[in-house]
Parts: sequence; structure tokens; C-alpha cells
Amino acid sequence: MALAPPEPARATGTVAATRVGAGTPPGHRATPRPGRTRPGRRRLLTRGSVPYLLIMPAVLGFAIFKAYPIAASFWISLTTGNGDARQFTGLANYRRLMDDPLFWTALRNTALILVVQVPLMLGLALLVALGLNSTKVWLRPLWRLGVFVPSLTGLVAAGVMFSVILNRDAGLLNWVLSFLGIDPVNWLGSPFWARVGVVLVITWHYTGYNAVMYLAGLQGIPKELYEAAMVDGAGPVRRFFSITLPQLRPILLLTVVLSTIGTLQLFDEPYVLTGGGPDNATLTVTMYLYNNGFKYFDFGYASALAYALALIVSVLGILQVRLMGERR
Amino acid sequence: MSHQLTRRQILHLATASAAGFGLAACGSGGSGGDAAGADGDSGKITVWSWTSAAEALRGVVPSFERENPDIKVEIQDVGEPAIWDKITVGLASGGKGLADVLHIGVDYLPGYLEKFPEGIADLSRLGADKHKDAFVEGLWPTVIGKDRAVHALPWEVNPLGLFYRHDFFEKADVDPATITSWDDLIAAGPKIRAATGAQLIGLDKPGTTQDMDFFQNLMQLQGAFYFDQEGKVTLASPAAVKALTIIKRLNDGGLLADTAGQGTWKRLVSQGKLATAPEAAWAVGYMAEKFPAQSGKWRVMQPPAAVPGGGRSVIVNSTYLAVSAAGKRRKAAWRFIEHALTKPAEINRMYSSGSVFPALKAAYADPMFDAPHPFYGGQRVLKSLVESLSSGSEATNFTSDYSRALKLASDAQSQVLLKGADPAGALKAAAAQLAQQTGRQQAA
Repeated sequence: MALAPPEPARATGTVAATRVGAGTPPGHRATPRPGRTRPGRRRLLTRGSVPYLLIMPAVLGFAIFKAYPIAASFWISLTTGNGDARQFTGLANYRRLMDDPLFWTALRNTALILVVQVPLMLGLALLVALGLNSTKVWLRPLWRLGVFVPSLTGLVAAGVMFSVILNRDAGLLNWVLSFLGIDPVNWLGSPFWARVGVVLVITWHYTGYNAVMYLAGLQGIPKELYEAAMVDGAGPVRRFFSITLPQLRPILLLTVVLSTIGTLQLFDEPYVLTGGGPDNATLTVTMYLYNNGFKYFDFGYASALAYALALIVSVLGILQVRLMGERR
Repeated sequence: MSHQLTRRQILHLATASAAGFGLAACGSGGSGGDAAGADGDSGKITVWSWTSAAEALRGVVPSFERENPDIKVEIQDVGEPAIWDKITVGLASGGKGLADVLHIGVDYLPGYLEKFPEGIADLSRLGADKHKDAFVEGLWPTVIGKDRAVHALPWEVNPLGLFYRHDFFEKADVDPATITSWDDLIAAGPKIRAATGAQLIGLDKPGTTQDMDFFQNLMQLQGAFYFDQEGKVTLASPAAVKALTIIKRLNDGGLLADTAGQGTWKRLVSQGKLATAPEAAWAVGYMAEKFPAQSGKWRVMQPPAAVPGGGRSVIVNSTYLAVSAAGKRRKAAWRFIEHALTKPAEINRMYSSGSVFPALKAAYADPMFDAPHPFYGGQRVLKSLVESLSSGSEATNFTSDYSRALKLASDAQSQVLLKGADPAGALKAAAAQLAQQTGRQQAA
């Protein structure tokens, strides 16, 4: 409240009048020194306080739009009820989670995508980055653009596009496969192929993004290291494993952690592509969370799911940093 | 020293104002919708609906504004399914940002009434009860909340019809009059397929859209649903098993086409690959508009019974107009709903422009419901659908847990169609899970 600007019209008149009257010797009326007329401001605006004032908007934004919802969600996860009438039920929602086969199905699906898709995508991204980094590639900027463009596509748009491409009867992919003499694949109708479809979309969407990060990393590796290795007689494979990979370590860690978090929060693509089906083969934890909140109006349970997911994400993140991080 | 003190003060200030905002947010969320709303009867009201229904409602506005010069109406086409998320979020935040009038489907209304008891305005207070007998039987229980008050008026009702390719039946030498149960139709299916190459019906086998209307209708034909009238779970009842078994027989006999994927059903129909379509009344206009090349080839009959000799009329679904309790002009909103939904002339104007089949009984007196339809070879299609409504079907208890039931039923159907699961076993597991997740009891 103290930071609110004074009301312009009244403030100048009345405040100035009282201040002038408060012990100011006659003759000093005409040009009061700025510092003196605003004693409150003077104490706030010091060299030490300015940084705090500068970060205040961000802190306020965080408090209102992040911290409060996070805390409120935790409270809701401990309650059950309709609308505003919520009863405290302790850990009941968390206990219910343990017995819910759909939660475990969703978690298994998410883990499966994580284990299969993330290494596949990051390996591919590394290959792409190595290719893009090579001076032998003709029209390099064009290739770089082409690789990065998919990650600019909206998530929902990507899902819609692939649902057309993967359509069994009229889809582009089956049409192409038919030229190779391969029978049409029921991409979205069979549990196995639906998972493959989802992996395909995510890989298409994020490989370029990771490749660009690797490319940046590759270009930061000092050329002298390679020159020295070559002088010592190291071949390209040896140079890759002894110089490139170790030098890329921090970026690899970053992409692994970011991809893990992203995959655990996977929602849009399977939501648009398969709706979680068939028979929950592509149901993810966030999709199940969304269903509970916005379709079943079970906000307590949805919040418990959110906290369970947050816990899993943090544990995995910490583990990855511990395992892959710089050894001291 | 003075620096330290100031910093601390600033931090305190930051925390205090953040907490203040937080509490303010709490407070506004915590207040009941009724407290925030008001019974204003003039000014501008907004209405949320979707696609052709929104267009139809726009047609009512001029006459309403003429009769109520103090009220201006703005119809917004929010889109479907986006409208459900918008309404849910609005209700969850104490009515913030909601339109005055909300178009709500039968699949959402009971959930909203139970989960947000303060969110939808009590219309009994404004005189809605007097319209109780004006609408098709079976719809009124849906508009009643736990407080026994009326919270919406029925707009659209969709009786089920079996649309069929008359030319295909003739070619296969199948007399439609002999088809009275699904047993009959399944028996005729191979003949139709042999003569025309068409399968009987299309179904989204993997259940990506969770369109379970066909399964539900087969249950409703037996007077059953996911829940009984007391709200107990009946998803594993003999009627449900019978319904899923019919679907399995269709599939095993090669009579069920997979319509998963956008536009697949439309493509199959236009290519003449489907001989029948169990569809709701809204499809009368839709089919004629989408497949003009097939004019004269389609007819509509009463849906076959699920069990020989059983019931042959079903209400597939229905939609309603309700008033947000947080609205500032609840009386004006109610007046608009009453004008749009209880006057035959208005409701029929909306039917003509938007294919929204009216739930108001008085609307059926209009000659348009008795007129021959050229797309259906001059058949009086609407008349037969209206007649099926008057045979009186029992109210379907959707309950507040319909969405969860729908999801589990859809999973069970996919398991049967994609993995060859046994209908009884799949439904038993689904019913158990539904009971576990909702805390409802299973019916004996």
C-alpha cells in the first residue's frame, strides 16, 4: 500500500501544506529540497533496496500466479467435496491413487514413452547436430532451419496433422507404405501402433529443438582439442567418444532433464491424436489429471495426481543430475 | 543499519501484499454464486452455445428484443467441446466470467448441478415449474437439482431412428418391415453385404472419441443405463452385457465398420459402404445436407429392439438452457429462455434453421412435422420420430458421474472389439472400477 502513488489532485495541495508547516523555518518555503519533502521515499530508495524493488514485480507475479496456486492445490488435494464446500480428508486422495488401476496404467504408459522415446530422440538429435555441424554439408543454414521448424509448430496443430497422416484408410503414411507393398497399419486403432504413433509425433516435434542445443554445444568445443588428438593419431570415432561426448556433457544433461520433465507432462499430442485410447494405451498422467479435474469435476483427486507427478518429476530430476552431473 | 531495516520492511511489504492477493483470490472463490448474482431484468445478457444451435438462437433475438426493449441479447458461439471447459472453469471459480445463459447437454447438466450446487440459478423461484408438463416425458427429472428446484429448461431432444439404405435392402431382398429386433438385422446383415458390399453400421472401435451412443441406446432399449434410478452402478447388468454382446456379434460377423478417425464415417456413407445408421433426430436434416447425391435412397424406421419384442423407442440425448447463478441479470436471462423455449413458433423457427429437434410438445403441431421429405423418398420422417417420443420412455439417470462411466464403458467396448475380450468380464471389471472411483454401490 505504501508504494501506491499519492492521489494527484489532493495530495499536492494538502500534503505540501502540512509538510511546509511542520517545523520548517520561514523563508525555506519556495524551493524545498526533494529529499526533505519526501522522507518515506528516501528510506525506500537506497542503493541497497533498489534491486529488491526491481525484482518485486517478478516476486509478486510468482507469489500470485505460482506460489498461491501451488499451495492451494496442495490444500485441495487433502480435501473432497463439491464446489466451495470442501471437507478435509487427509491423505484419502493419495491412498485412492495407490488403488487406482488407471493411474498405474497412465504412469506405465508415461514411463514407457520416457524409456523408449527420450533416448531415441536425443540420439537422433545428436546425429542431426553432428551432420549440421559438418563443414561438408551444402546449404547448412537451410538444413538447420528445416530441422528446427517442427518445434515451432503448435502442439495441438502437430497432433491434428498427424491424426490425418496416420489415418488408417486415407492417411499419408499408409499410402506411402502401400507403394512398398506393406499392408495398411491401424496406427491409431491398435494399442501398440497408437503408442508408436505418439512416439513418432513427439520425436518429430522435439528432435530439431534438441539438435539445435547440441549444435550450440558442438560449436563451443575448442578446435585445438581435435587438432591435438589428430596429431596423436586419434580417428574420428575415438575423437567423438574422447572429446565430443565429454565436452557435450553439460548440454546432454540439460536435454535429458528437460526431455524427462517434458515427457512426464505429456498431454497435447496424445490428447489430440488418440484421446488416451485405445483402451488407455496412450493415457498419460497429465491427461488422467485433466480428465479428473475437468471431466469428472474431482478436483481433490486431480490435485493429488498433480502432487504425485511433481514428486516423480523431482525425484527423477535429482537422480539424473546426481548420476550424470559433473563428478568432483 | 538503516539499510537492513528498509530491506526487511520491503520484504515484509512484498509478503504482506502477496498474502493479501492470495486471500483476496480465496475470498472471491469462496463466495457462493447466488451471493454474487442479481435479479436484474434489463440490460445486456450474453448466451453461450455452439455451432448451428448458436445460429438458431440468433434467430430468436429480434422477436425477443421487440417484446423486451430493455434487454439486449448477445449470442456467442463458444464451440463444442470448448464450451464444457469454459463452463467448468467458470463454475469452479464461483461463476466468474460465465455468460448469463448457458447451453448445457444432458451429459454435463447433472454433474454441474451436483458438483457446483450454487453455480446454476434456481429457476423455480422465477416461475419455471409451470412448464413442467410442456416438455417430452423423461427430460424433466434432469433439470431438478438436489434442492428439488428447477435449474434449466429442455430445448433439444433426440429420439433415435434407424436410418437405412432403402435401395440396398431392396437389392438384398430384405423387407424392412420384418426387421423388429437386432437379431433380425444381424441375420439380414450378410445378405445385404453379399448384395451390396456394404457393412451394417460404423463404430469408432478404438473409442478415441468416446462416442458410446450405440452401446447406450442398446441398453436404453431395455430400460437400462450405467446407473439405476437410485444412482447405483448397473454397468455390469444383464442389459449391459446384452448390449455389448450385440456389438460383439456385429463385429465378429464382419458387419461393423471401423469409423475411427476424423471424417471416416462421412466418407464411408458417401461411398455407400454403410447400409444403416442408428442416429438421433438431428441427423434427418444433416444427412440430407451432407449426402445430397443419395437423395431418395434413405429411409428411417424405428430402431430394432435389443431383445425380441422389447421396447423400440429411445431418447439418445437432450440439451438445456440454464442461467448462471452469478449473473447480474438473472430475470432477464430467464425471460429470454422462456421466450425461446416455450413458444412453438420460436422453437420451430430454431429447428428449421439449426436442426435442433424441439423438446417442446406443442411444437409438433406444426405441419412441418407431418410433411413428406424428398431425401427420404417422400417418407414422413419427422412424424415417426415424434410418435416414438410419445410412446413414453423412462427418464435416464445420467448422474454426476456419467463422464467417468462413459470412459470406462468405452474402454470395455474397445477391449471387446480390439482384443476379443468377453463382454461380461470386461463390463464386470469396468463396473467394479466405476464403483471404486465414485464411491457408488453396485446394484445387486
